[in-house]
Amino acid sequence: MAFDIDKYTTNSKSVAWDDLDFDAFDTDPLPPETLRTLRYMADVEYHTVCYLRDLLTTPSHKEPEIGAFMTMWNREEFWHGEALATVLGKHGITLDFDELKANRVKLGWKDRLDPIKQSLMGGLVGHDFVAVHMSWGAVNEWSANAAYLRLAKQQNHPVLGELLKRIAAQETKHVAFYASQARARLADSKKAQVITRFALRKFWRPVGSGISPDSEVEHVMGALFAGSEGRKLIQDVDSHIAKLPGMEGLRIVENSLERFNISAEDEVPSGELVAA
Amino acid sequence: MRPPAFGVPPHRPGRARSDDPQHSDASSATLASATPGEPAGDHAFDIREFARTARGNLRDQLDLSGIAPGNLPVEVLRLVRTLRDLERATMQRMRNVLVTATHKDARVTAFLTTWAFEKFWIADALDAVLDAAGEERASTEFTAAPRRSLRERIERRGPVRRALAANMAGPALVDAHITTQLVDEWIGQTAYRKLGELASTLGSVVELVLDVKSRHIRFFTEEAQRRLTDSRRGRRLTRKELRRMAWPVGATELPSDERAAFEATVFGGASGPTERGRIASLIASLPGMQSVAPMVATRLAP
Repeated sequence: MAFDIDKYTTNSKSVAWDDLDFDAFDTDPLPPETLRTLRYMADVEYHTVCYLRDLLTTPSHKEPEIGAFMTMWNREEFWHGEALATVLGKHGITLDFDELKANRVKLGWKDRLDPIKQSLMGGLVGHDFVAVHMSWGAVNEWSANAAYLRLAKQQNHPVLGELLKRIAAQETKHVAFYASQARARLADSKKAQVITRFALRKFWRPVGSGISPDSEVEHVMGALFAGSEGRKLIQDVDSHIAKLPGMEGLRIVENSLERFNISAEDEVPSGELVAA
Repeated sequence: MRPPAFGVPPHRPGRARSDDPQHSDASSATLASATPGEPAGDHAFDIREFARTARGNLRDQLDLSGIAPGNLPVEVLRLVRTLRDLERATMQRMRNVLVTATHKDARVTAFLTTWAFEKFWIADALDAVLDAAGEERASTEFTAAPRRSLRERIERRGPVRRALAANMAGPALVDAHITTQLVDEWIGQTAYRKLGELASTLGSVVELVLDVKSRHIRFFTEEAQRRLTDSRRGRRLTRKELRRMAWPVGATELPSDERAAFEATVFGGASGPTERGRIASLIASLPGMQSVAPMVATRLAP
């Protein structure tokens, strides 16, 4: 089904949490490993404007529908960062603009060269490069959606759970946009399929890999997707990707879990081992 | 209609309307207190308050009752379309800024995120004006190629050359971007005021748009003043940037006849010299910018 951009822009809102009782975190605080995951997620959300930069180096932004989407998407993701930063703030963890700036400065030359690399690739590949960006965006949004819903279920915290579900609901709309764009562009061009498949297979890494150390990526992937239930969610993401034209058989997200040695086996409680 | 004064407009937080009814002023305190925000001393403009009270869809606040097919002059319709196109080209502006060190400044990018959102809805409001006037949103009459001059070639650079140049220039280029955007906002403010003068039926629309844009001007003014005061290198880069810019920002992509019409309508005629002089004195009031102010004013002339 075609994505209704007018409906999306009209209904685009910053995620709301005013009606949620954040004081619940005073009496029912989140454990440190969950705060570590939330910190990672907040960094990724705030970093959206840098992903936007890379998208803007392709000719896609001149298309009114894509420009409109990017405007709303960038703002919604910023507010996801604000929401998560507020949760972290309730636990004494500060994530202000100065710290975000310091993190971006730390990225160094790779970050400075990224737009040049993206533009050159765009120049070499031509308009089909937009399909790569749209497919890449779809994969990222599918995995973000899975991550938020998984964390909500794991924590079973009444306030965090509701907040994460609200964020995930917006990510679902982003998925719809990227996937519909990717599907149409890939269906139109065999070249776009070949290039997108190559780019995803060779270069896709879990969202946040470029901005956080591997130790953090490994922590978050392990915390969210270790075990059979987590693996099933990741396989679902891969199956969505595989349904895009020319992407049959790709399992890039599951492969990335395996690179980090995230087990698909459920941990056996130590008591059961003793009993056995 | 009485348009706002030039320069830094008074801040009217009471008029700001959140796009989201669930974000009330009362709850905004939650964010401010729970998320340790910006250092209060250095920045008077509260980015988070701006983001929280962003003004989205303006349609329910537009008074289009005086507009009917045939009652807006051609020059007014042309100006509406050009302003709409300039507002809608924000993503192009974002790209040119984000491929430089400016994207690292999280405070600036947080502002730009909401700024782009508000400009999207200003463009939509101008579309509503064209709809009410029974006009096509896209112009079919004026489709000349953009004006091309050797002097403005720098403005037609793609992202690769911009990013390479920005890596050479370093973080002080942020100062130049902020100041360029401020000058562009002043030019836009002049254009909207002119629109209100040319068509009194558009008075309330113009007032609404200027009210939304008043916070943009306030942010850019504060930032430019602070940054230019602090950095000699920033002042030097900014002078260089202002000297070579085509105005308004985005002019190099306008059809040449539309660009000429914009210059003639906003900065031509009997009031032209006064308007250009006003822009020049605003630029001259910025630290270290006196020498380039007359050149920018000259470039605005039709």
